[in-house]
Amino acid sequence: MRTEYGAHPTEHILDEFPERTRFDVVVIGGGPNGLISGAYLARAGLSVAVVERRQEIGGGLSTEETLFPGHYTNPHAFYHMMTEYLPILSDFDLAAHGLYFVRPNAQAAAVFSDSTSLVLCNHIEDSKDAIAKISEADARALGRVMRTWRKVVEEIIAPGTYLPSLPPIDMVEALERTPLGREVLRLTEMSPLEIVSEVFTDDRVRATMLYLACMWGLDPTESGLGFMVPLMIDRAMSKAQCYGGSHKLAGALSREIHRSGGIVLDNAEVTQILVDNGQVRGVACFDGRVIESSVVLSSLAPPLTFGRLVAPDEVPAEMQEAAAYWEWDKWSFATLSVVTDEAPHYRCDDPWVDDALMVLVGLDDTEDVLSHFREVAAGAMGDRLVGHATVETRYDPTLSRVPGHHVSFLQLHAPYDIEGGWDSREEEITAQLLALWRERCKNLDEANIVMRSLETPVDIERRLASMVRGSIKHGDYNPLQMGAFRPHDSCVAGRSPIQGLYLCGASSYPGGLVIGGPGYIAAGSVVEDMGARKWWEAPRFVRRYEERYLS
Amino acid sequence: MVSDPRFDVVVIGGGHNGTTIAAYLAKCGLSTCVLEARPECGGGQENTEVSPGFRIDPHATYLYGGAAPGFEQLELWKYGMRMVYYQSMAGIATLDGQVANMGSRWRPDIGEESMRKNSPQDLEGPNRIFDQLGEAGTKELLRALFWTPPHPAGTEVEPRDLPWWQVFRKHMPNLWFDELVDMSYLDFLDTFVHWEPLKALNAMAAWYCGAHPAWDGMLLQSLGGILLFTYASGAPRGGMHTYAHAIIRCALAHGARMVTNAPVDEIIVRDGRAVGVRLAEDAAFPGKTVWADKAVISAIDVQHTMLGLIGRGHLDPSFIQRISDISLKGGSLFVMSVVCRELPRYHGRDEAFPEEVYPSCVVAPADSLEWVKRQTRDAYSYRRAPELRPEHLTMMICTHDPYDSTRCPDGYHVLSPIYLEMPPPIYDASGEHQVNQQKEEITSAALALLRQLAPNMTDGNIVEVFVNTPEDSEFRNTGMVGGNWYGIRQSDDQWFGNRPIPELGRYRTPVDGLYLCNQTSHPGGLCLMAVPYNLMHVLIEDGVAEPGGWWYPAPYYVPPGGSPIRAGE
Repeated sequence: MRTEYGAHPTEHILDEFPERTRFDVVVIGGGPNGLISGAYLARAGLSVAVVERRQEIGGGLSTEETLFPGHYTNPHAFYHMMTEYLPILSDFDLAAHGLYFVRPNAQAAAVFSDSTSLVLCNHIEDSKDAIAKISEADARALGRVMRTWRKVVEEIIAPGTYLPSLPPIDMVEALERTPLGREVLRLTEMSPLEIVSEVFTDDRVRATMLYLACMWGLDPTESGLGFMVPLMIDRAMSKAQCYGGSHKLAGALSREIHRSGGIVLDNAEVTQILVDNGQVRGVACFDGRVIESSVVLSSLAPPLTFGRLVAPDEVPAEMQEAAAYWEWDKWSFATLSVVTDEAPHYRCDDPWVDDALMVLVGLDDTEDVLSHFREVAAGAMGDRLVGHATVETRYDPTLSRVPGHHVSFLQLHAPYDIEGGWDSREEEITAQLLALWRERCKNLDEANIVMRSLETPVDIERRLASMVRGSIKHGDYNPLQMGAFRPHDSCVAGRSPIQGLYLCGASSYPGGLVIGGPGYIAAGSVVEDMGARKWWEAPRFVRRYEERYLS
Repeated sequence: MVSDPRFDVVVIGGGHNGTTIAAYLAKCGLSTCVLEARPECGGGQENTEVSPGFRIDPHATYLYGGAAPGFEQLELWKYGMRMVYYQSMAGIATLDGQVANMGSRWRPDIGEESMRKNSPQDLEGPNRIFDQLGEAGTKELLRALFWTPPHPAGTEVEPRDLPWWQVFRKHMPNLWFDELVDMSYLDFLDTFVHWEPLKALNAMAAWYCGAHPAWDGMLLQSLGGILLFTYASGAPRGGMHTYAHAIIRCALAHGARMVTNAPVDEIIVRDGRAVGVRLAEDAAFPGKTVWADKAVISAIDVQHTMLGLIGRGHLDPSFIQRISDISLKGGSLFVMSVVCRELPRYHGRDEAFPEEVYPSCVVAPADSLEWVKRQTRDAYSYRRAPELRPEHLTMMICTHDPYDSTRCPDGYHVLSPIYLEMPPPIYDASGEHQVNQQKEEITSAALALLRQLAPNMTDGNIVEVFVNTPEDSEFRNTGMVGGNWYGIRQSDDQWFGNRPIPELGRYRTPVDGLYLCNQTSHPGGLCLMAVPYNLMHVLIEDGVAEPGGWWYPAPYYVPPGGSPIRAGE
């Protein structure tokens, strides 16, 4: 049922969205989590307004014509790691809006300087075949460890993604119940480097696994988040591309919001969260428009939500602390996108590498990976660079409007603060990235490259202001900012200490990378608190986990 | 296998007209599905963030449709429609150092002041027509011109009784004489305008708002285009794509299905009736056939619809020839977008264009009407890119960020679009790829000229340049035939009941159940929601749509067999 809003539109020569409106729920930020919350709440019968700063919704779900004219890239989320689990994909019929994911078998390849290579596949036996060229023992080790790690993901980590966090003590108690849970606890205390070293022997295999485990933000030598290694490695072999570009997922969610009577208001940066005596009253936008609501969900990180949008005298002490001590991501990214006449062709012993959704370049041993992350964390683009490349049009040809053109990119971790500043170093770093890519790739000569474009950490922040310092996850993954501590242990299940203010973004448990947990969890809390109809039920894999570990 | 999806109405193409007709029909309660080939709906209503934080306008740029009934009928305000109104819409700069700010309807004082200074005798010229018509009169005239379906074939009317002339006569009895109906806007400019740069401005404005000033019998269409521009004097907040969002969201809220990455390969015709469409093999949709119980609406251009999707097998040779011969000339654009740190300061002078009243659209070099005509001849007579000399390169240089902070980060400006008229690629005497081969050459000439006009447009000031040629526009947006922003020529031969050809003049086609809803039908482009509004009358006649109390027809609408409406009789 549609709730009418705004009895008096603003008139000029035509009626406009009112200066003052009232909705049941306002969501700040139309990124993946904001849209997920909005879609669940709108279907629950609540009137929902999702308010977005940019003209296009999607946040990290963006597909842009960065190689103008006619060539599109996914500058942020270029693949999706949780498509088998995301509850939105079973709770909504998003395929009806033309949303499809393509999950190729050839997932992640690495090409080494001696022309050896390996291709990790969605089919484990295919991955083992590739590793066997390098190390028979490691091939067997992969087969063995993945039988456990896939269970770890399916039984524990994926379900935990869509349930509120538990206090650490309760979490330990829950996991102690099963051998698999105890393995997760054991891994948690190890660093990614220790885990891959324990399992694999060949250094090329170790280096590949270490990179895949850490590429989205784990520190390779830090313990405390080791449970994420099985997740990241399993997911590195289960990536799916959104056909038509990642933005289609945002579009499909927005369609659901509108079908249920909600709206998305774009070009409407929120400049203030209105709070009165500890109770949320709504939001104000940059153009003076006010949307009243006693429930506001913010998808922004604590320094923005509490440090900028709520008036200082209304911010509780624990949230002041969360805002003040928040650590942004330890590194950001530099991405060189190119349009070529021929798709990149790698110099190696296996033509299958060219088909892989992702190809790692620049690494031969674990020291390459360690020094790469070390240098980036120290603020430099060092001499021993490692990166990952993707031919985006390989599995999604719709990204080029020009017949025969291919769109690819090479992405590297990069510091936000770089000596001299990004604007002055773009050309030099473009050359550096191209040189690295060409070491492994045969045909990226000037004649083949039609167009190129570099996106720096500063560009990331400029496009998506919520990614402060280019923080794609809205905040670092470290033991003090993960689990029940994300964003702060006083915020449970998306509830903040301010009455009616919820947190639903990547800076909340369980985190970013379009896993969809924060938005889903916050929506559950809102319907519960508002007494609205909870029309969905937890997916089966979540219910099994609850029975086994939480009952 | 999933069974083939079935809807009341299938709309091919999710551009401005396709999304708007979907919103209308969904609001009528029909199950409606839009199939769009590209990853994003909106067509020419597009803003592209080519570089992080910087948004350009590769196609549509101003709100011309302010007088559209669609804003009320579809209640777009509910879906986020917001406007930004500009203090100054137009400016003039000449190579010989003249600069004039023409203000906007919101700041008529600025234009008056400029005229007083530059050409006092033009104070009473055509620029006063808006004042004389007033807001209500202008809206009535615009609705008669654009938001009126062509009369049924065989309806007999005198030219002076066409809806727009009736309204003009009513409001401007002192300016009316019978010869007006055959005049071109150039005739009119020669008669009523004195200052050469003002003639150039008006000629360019007419050309870029729809009807080239040289086209006979199109005086009021040329002027009407300018009045559309003047009427709103602004753009949607954020750009034209926000307006597209409002339309799309309205359609969705009424239950329409909008599917992207779903190119259509064929309209399925059975016994002379359109019953559905077949999608391309790589379309992102559960079934590759989509059935339409009540109508198939083609919101892509007439040539692709007839020759591509219906196919020659269903059409007779005479019809095929005339579809092939539809003139595409008129609106093929070479579009540049420039990111810079400072706005152009024409001849280094700030006083005419202070930032708070900076003209959103500057015509330059506007030295002479003859210069504008030269560019026209290059494009349409010689069929080549304009000669790269200033006397052939009059440009429209637009910017929005002085009034809309969402367009780019602080400290920067975006000049977008900068337009130059070209021949449609297939008419280029040197071949259809010629324009892309000359891309860099034309861009440098245009930027060099811009620097001659505004010395601060140095390499240090210019951060980035993006270009889409007519050929690029065509592949980015397949419906934009010839890179022509209104698809096909908007001349008397192809206007009202003659658009695109008389047999198709009322949106119906030789195939039952197939209707046209693209800018290649009356009244053409500019994102007016006019083609869909006009088509609605026909769909109601045919029993496809039954709108509720929110619907009202055009006052000059003539139903089949009805008599033409004559005001005051």
